[in-house]
Amino acid sequence: MKNKSGIVNSMNSKKVIAASLAISLLFAFTGCGNSSDSATTENTKQEAASATDAGGSAASDEKLDDLYQQENRIFADHKNVWDKVFALMSKNTNDNAMNENYADFLTNTIESNKDSFSEEEYDTLSKDIETIRGIEEEIAKLEKEIAASDSSGNTSSGSAESTGVFRGFKGKDLDGNDVDDSLFAQNKVTVVNFWFSGCKPCVEELSKLNELNDKLKEMGGEVVGINTDTLDDNQDGIKEAKEILKAQGASYKNLTFDSDSTVGKYAGDIMAFPTTVLVDKDGNIVGEPFMGGIDDPSNYEQLMEQIQNIL
Amino acid sequence: MKSNKNFLVRFRGWIQAAATLLTNLHIPNLFKGKLYQGKAKTICVPGLNCYSCPAATGACPIGAFQAVVGSSKFKFTYYITGFFILLGVLLGRFICGFLCPFGWFQDLLHKIPGKKLSTAKLKPLRYLKYLILAVFVILLPALVTNSLGMGDPFFCKYICPQGVLEGAIPLSLVNSGIRAALGHLFTFKFAILVLVILLSILFYRPFCKWICPLGAVYSLFNRVSFLKLQVDSEKCVGCQKCSHACKMDVNVTDTPNHPECIRCGACMKVCPTNAICYHYGFSNKKQADNK
Repeated sequence: MKNKSGIVNSMNSKKVIAASLAISLLFAFTGCGNSSDSATTENTKQEAASATDAGGSAASDEKLDDLYQQENRIFADHKNVWDKVFALMSKNTNDNAMNENYADFLTNTIESNKDSFSEEEYDTLSKDIETIRGIEEEIAKLEKEIAASDSSGNTSSGSAESTGVFRGFKGKDLDGNDVDDSLFAQNKVTVVNFWFSGCKPCVEELSKLNELNDKLKEMGGEVVGINTDTLDDNQDGIKEAKEILKAQGASYKNLTFDSDSTVGKYAGDIMAFPTTVLVDKDGNIVGEPFMGGIDDPSNYEQLMEQIQNIL
Repeated sequence: MKSNKNFLVRFRGWIQAAATLLTNLHIPNLFKGKLYQGKAKTICVPGLNCYSCPAATGACPIGAFQAVVGSSKFKFTYYITGFFILLGVLLGRFICGFLCPFGWFQDLLHKIPGKKLSTAKLKPLRYLKYLILAVFVILLPALVTNSLGMGDPFFCKYICPQGVLEGAIPLSLVNSGIRAALGHLFTFKFAILVLVILLSILFYRPFCKWICPLGAVYSLFNRVSFLKLQVDSEKCVGCQKCSHACKMDVNVTDTPNHPECIRCGACMKVCPTNAICYHYGFSNKKQADNK
């Protein structure tokens, strides 16, 4: 009886060892998975933000849109015959087809259904495809450029929402005056500092941020604070934030806004406070967010370096 | 009122695993590097489990205690203190043995084969954890404050290896901003974690015995907790096998409800006459519990 239970016990402990080994193995793998994963999550957040010339990347985005429009115009101009092509397309689509050059893909579709088209139609299509081929080449080139300017080289994710966090901004300062994205447009660079009232390192860097604001004003920039306790016009939070700002001698602008707005969601996703980001004229976040107080000299230097790059 | 000792003791490893999982439910967050910030985060978990672990279900009671004591608005936290008293009375250090993720972590580390050393001669170090509780969790956060009355969570900030293991490491793996912000403090605390890991392989649960302020809190309640160990003096033959089996260096027959007992049940397993068992409820008069 006793022996038996002894065996069961040792079996159990073996099971536990096996399980723990399995778990640690799992962790080892997820550890590796993490780092590659991390690269992509980071990219989606920071996409194009790390481009030193944010204005340039915005321009290439516009150009890209224009090129897509040109293609669509071609399809619209010869709508009848292209609709015929598109009707044939769905049946031919397979995985390989999706990977080939779009112009080749169109050609293949037409070639394999040559009988369905009159000679005139076929000519129109061929000409159009050559134009499209030219446009496609330009698109490819542009996409490469955008990818290159994005230091992380990731173009697959739709990112405008995460960098253009302050585009179309609407909110108030803590005195209740309306503030919109013209605040960012009037500055060469806006330093936005996220904080909350219970955060000691945040509160302790406020006076340093105020100094930075004075300095930046001369250079055509500005510091703006966002206290996450004040969102949604929370009056108690605003009152407390104002007291702290006053006590720390910080007189620069602090903003409040709806927590379910784009910037509200961005603020809600921040896990490390204080976090400081740089925002350009168009309301795009430029570069990586800074974590930690700028009362630390090395953090301050890093931040100033980035600011200099933008100015 | 006897609990089924076989069940609890036999499946202790699994119970610990389940408790760790329940304490860290939001596993996908580990890959996103985001913290769960929902309503449940306002509730404390029983074990030592970092609030800043992306997967964490609730708040660490020790961390929450320091946060409130160190805030400018409050001087004392009735909620967390009440929580300590409630859990201390209901379960005591059973939490350490069965529910604490960091306890389980050390148990698993101790299973790594190699030389094992006894902590019996290091008993005075046990009192260190009470000092850490008093100084780093209560006094420093409450007294060392800036001009606005805000203190630091000293234990979390300067000591806790669980914070590095569950918070700093997973977050910095996934989040490059946090990775960039790591400094000397991280290096220092990472060294503490490595030290605790190495010691855990050599000794049984060194962190629980010597450092853990949460264990210190629960240990104060071990004698008055509803959950107790009972030694049936009629069945006991006085072989002292239990005390030799006890990895927390408790003399089981003399002091079954010693502050250091984590209720792991190792003594029950070895008792030749099944004289030791769990007892839940008010103290049984015929037992000579507290000597």
